[in-house]
Amino acid sequence: MTEDSLVAVKNLVVKFYTYAGVVEALDGVNLKIRPGEILGLVGETGCGKSVTSFSILQLVPPPGRIEEGEIYLNVGGKTLDIRSLPKDAIRQIRGKDIAMIFQEPRAYLNPVYTVETQIGEALLTHRKNEFLQKAIEALEKAGKKSSFEKRVYERMLKKPKSLVTKIMAKFCRKKTLMKEVHKEVVELLRSVEIADPERVAKMYPFELSGGMAQRAVIAMALSCQPLMLIADEPTTNLDVTVQAQILNLVRELRKTFKSSILYITHDLGVIAELCDRVAVMYAGNVVESADVYELFEAPLHPYTKALLESIPKPGEEFKSIPGTVPSLINPPKGCRFHDRCQYEMDVCRKIKPEFIEVKKDHFVACHLYGGSK
Amino acid sequence: MTSLPAYIARRLILLIFVILGVSLLIFAITTLIPIEIRAMLYVRNVQHTSPQQLIEIAKKRGLDRPIHEQFFAWLSEVLQGNLGFSKFSQQPVADAILERWPYTFEIVLFAAPLIIFIGIFLGVQAAIHKDGLIDHACRVLSIIGWSLPSFWLGLLLLSVFSGYLHWVSPGPLDTNLLQFRNNPDSGFVRHTKIDLFDGLLNGRPDITLNVIQHAILPVIVIVTINVALLIRVMRSSMLEALNKPYTVAARAKGLDDKTVIYKHARRNALIPVVTLSGMLVAGLLGGLVITETVFGFGGLGQWAANAALQLDVPAVLGYALLSAFLFVIANLIVDILYAYIDPRIRLV
Amino acid sequence: MDLSAKWKELKVSWQPRIKEWKFMLKRIRESPLALIGIAIIIGFVIIACLAPVLAPPQAGWDPFMLRPDKDLAILTPDPTPPTTRHIFGTTAEKFDIYYGCIWGTINAFRVGLIVVAIALVIGVVLGTVAAYYGGLIDEILMRFTDIIIALPGLVLAMALVIAFPTTIPLNITLIILVVSAVLSIYFAAFKPQRKYLLPNQIILLISLFLYLTNPIVIGLNMSKLDKVLISLAIVGWPGYARLIRGEVLRVKNEDYVEAAKASGCSDLRIIIKHILPNTVYPLLIVVTLDIGSIVLTAAALSFLGIGADPNFADWGNIISMSRTWISSPELLVRHYYTFLIPGIFISLFVLGWNLLGDALRDILDPMIRRR
Repeated sequence: MTEDSLVAVKNLVVKFYTYAGVVEALDGVNLKIRPGEILGLVGETGCGKSVTSFSILQLVPPPGRIEEGEIYLNVGGKTLDIRSLPKDAIRQIRGKDIAMIFQEPRAYLNPVYTVETQIGEALLTHRKNEFLQKAIEALEKAGKKSSFEKRVYERMLKKPKSLVTKIMAKFCRKKTLMKEVHKEVVELLRSVEIADPERVAKMYPFELSGGMAQRAVIAMALSCQPLMLIADEPTTNLDVTVQAQILNLVRELRKTFKSSILYITHDLGVIAELCDRVAVMYAGNVVESADVYELFEAPLHPYTKALLESIPKPGEEFKSIPGTVPSLINPPKGCRFHDRCQYEMDVCRKIKPEFIEVKKDHFVACHLYGGSK
Repeated sequence: MTSLPAYIARRLILLIFVILGVSLLIFAITTLIPIEIRAMLYVRNVQHTSPQQLIEIAKKRGLDRPIHEQFFAWLSEVLQGNLGFSKFSQQPVADAILERWPYTFEIVLFAAPLIIFIGIFLGVQAAIHKDGLIDHACRVLSIIGWSLPSFWLGLLLLSVFSGYLHWVSPGPLDTNLLQFRNNPDSGFVRHTKIDLFDGLLNGRPDITLNVIQHAILPVIVIVTINVALLIRVMRSSMLEALNKPYTVAARAKGLDDKTVIYKHARRNALIPVVTLSGMLVAGLLGGLVITETVFGFGGLGQWAANAALQLDVPAVLGYALLSAFLFVIANLIVDILYAYIDPRIRLV
Repeated sequence: MDLSAKWKELKVSWQPRIKEWKFMLKRIRESPLALIGIAIIIGFVIIACLAPVLAPPQAGWDPFMLRPDKDLAILTPDPTPPTTRHIFGTTAEKFDIYYGCIWGTINAFRVGLIVVAIALVIGVVLGTVAAYYGGLIDEILMRFTDIIIALPGLVLAMALVIAFPTTIPLNITLIILVVSAVLSIYFAAFKPQRKYLLPNQIILLISLFLYLTNPIVIGLNMSKLDKVLISLAIVGWPGYARLIRGEVLRVKNEDYVEAAKASGCSDLRIIIKHILPNTVYPLLIVVTLDIGSIVLTAAALSFLGIGADPNFADWGNIISMSRTWISSPELLVRHYYTFLIPGIFISLFVLGWNLLGDALRDILDPMIRRR
């Protein structure tokens, strides 16, 4: 199952140990994202979409813990088991192989540093040597072949960990390096269609509008050309027109960079417009995943069906799903949707359905389709 | 406009208003003192003066004029540099202040940075290792420190280190060194009037060391009591910053823990701490009153305490005005630092 | 029965609040620091209540004044170390330190609670008014609190204590006149219930007449202790005003306040019923910590000699008698008991309140956030 995928999540179980009790946030989540594909992750608020995305990057905040499951990343011909990687290796993946953008961009940018500083930080973390090289070449072209700065850069390339290098670097102003980084930042901002990138680079997050901030964050995420971008409801807080612009941008960038995108949202319209495949989540489980056309035309899981039917259509009555989302502190046994499902059977109350391939590339977790073993 | 200079200019104007307000308040308080008592300042021989004579003197000196008249008269004097005459110390208030402030300065010079840096460091560590040993230890120790009366801690240290171990004598300097300094024939030139620096400037580093030796105990008292507040504020501020979205985003970028904690979280966490530090340092003057009295340091605080006991109005007025002035300056510095750290503030 | 239905209704409406309190109590029980703090405070309460038993006062003598031990006074002008007769020793004036410490406990409670109560009331009223009505009133009040906060507390307290005259002339007629004048302005501007208007105008006219012809002035005698109490209250109220103002501002813009206004509640009712209950928790924390802080400052004032009367049974006062030996620390060591033991009393007392306050801060913080 993992061979053709970029990132594969298998049976992920995440629990939060809070004062009020143990929240079983994820109850065996299965996801697969193929290279170059846009996978939409859709579900109601609180169903575990964000927790899933955080888990991929091992960023689940305490009191949460990943209890079970496997997360695989296929990069450079190798398959990495993310959960078993040491801290350093995970940090290499974050921002470089898998990057993430968030819902409220201005909250996720540090308010006391400029845009330039923060994007530059990402660049220097993962592409440092590239910029050191560029700075060295720039200094050579300017004729300063033996300046202190140049020597510091060369040392940083050759012996980055030595104490002498660190001390020298502390005393060096690194102007050329910063200039090279600045050039790249401006280019990145331009590529996300920010007008006047020079000025925006020097701005602080609170000076940006929502749309501009989100573009800047996208620029930051793509700065190191990640294999996959996780977008956690990036347009939910934006105006519809701005949202359309951002979505177009995302599509363009996918074409340019060929990265996969895990697009999390609760807006089915966006899913329909943007994604190649869709995964539907409910109460901590992925209940269905299929190609986008397939899902909209022939949904299998009762929840997906109900969800699609609840989209308001002109002239028709509002159709809602009876009942409410269960509390995850004491979740219902068996299938978590059973008490709201119109096809509820006896087995649904007792046994949790398995996530199996019912049609080609169409997975469902429901007893209606033989989810029990 | 997010420019720093414009912001500073605005704060300077506010500063003047606050100082005026404070001086008016202090002045109003002193007018509560009955005029006979205030007139005693102008009399050489208090016992042989009858109350009627005192009232006459008071009238002559204009002590019964309406408050606002007196205030403006006093204000114009102050602006010319005349803070009045302090009866109990037999010298102009301005001179008294100039003579004594170096001793206070010597203590604050060491105490303030210690409080700030220890507070920030321990607060950050307590936040990072939340609920760990260092967190609990910091909390308990700082609460205990905050609960101790400064005079009691001072007396305790004085008795142990001075009375029992004979390690250091009370006062700002050893008596023989003090005599040496005051002796005009000794060749000791008081360039800055601050013994700490004068010692070095005169080629007598032993004097400087002696100053430090005498200052250690008062500094310990001040630091112990005041560091608690800073640790607590730093800790809670840091905890908040560590849970903010931008910290998560920084981690998601692949930054290492050290950068995330110290570069991203801490800078945001420092914002309320900077404000508090400023207030703390300015408020040190209050705590110094007690500490200087206990250690006989001869600084401004001790002088003010004695002035208050003697009902010496010009002295108390002068000291209160000075405290307010320093407080406002400290606030200004704090505001500037604040604006430097947090660019959002520059819009205010 | 109508009454039992109402009682049921009341119980139901208080349910969420009771649940919060139960949760809070549970957290308090689980916090070792809070329990130690409460234990210390209760210990001191017991001492204060049992003071007449633990340290019986001399008949006919004000129990709060220290009395020198006549038998020892003749011998030497020095303090005596602890003996069976004087468990903690005596001071230079032959005052029994043990007695002073026990009765000083009552004094500590008195100072702490009274000052905090006065400062709290003034601060809450002014802070609420400033925050609720905003505008110029807010600006003026806030500048005023700024000015008071600009001075180190001890300095201001010192200045106030020495400046306070022993007798304050209170012009009662003037006070009544001013109050009724202000009220008439209020009635004219806001037009509330008519039934209060007429009596108020009558009082206004009567007091005006009296003021012009035969004003009633009484002299309020203040003991040194009273001066200390009032000075500390004056120093302390701006802190509460600022805190309440912040809280009221925060709550003022919440939706339920808008809803109350929309349904026609009067201003006062909104403030009392909706806004103030939500500001209680931060206030509770500050009050607990402040009691300790006030006692420390009062002790410092007594230590300097600016506090209560010289023979008063006050912890700081006892320690102030050690001031004479500051220049000769060897004597300080010899007479260690004169300051060591009273100081332990002060430290423990303040520690108790500080532990409780700090623990409350931790407990109440997530609760506040849970809202």
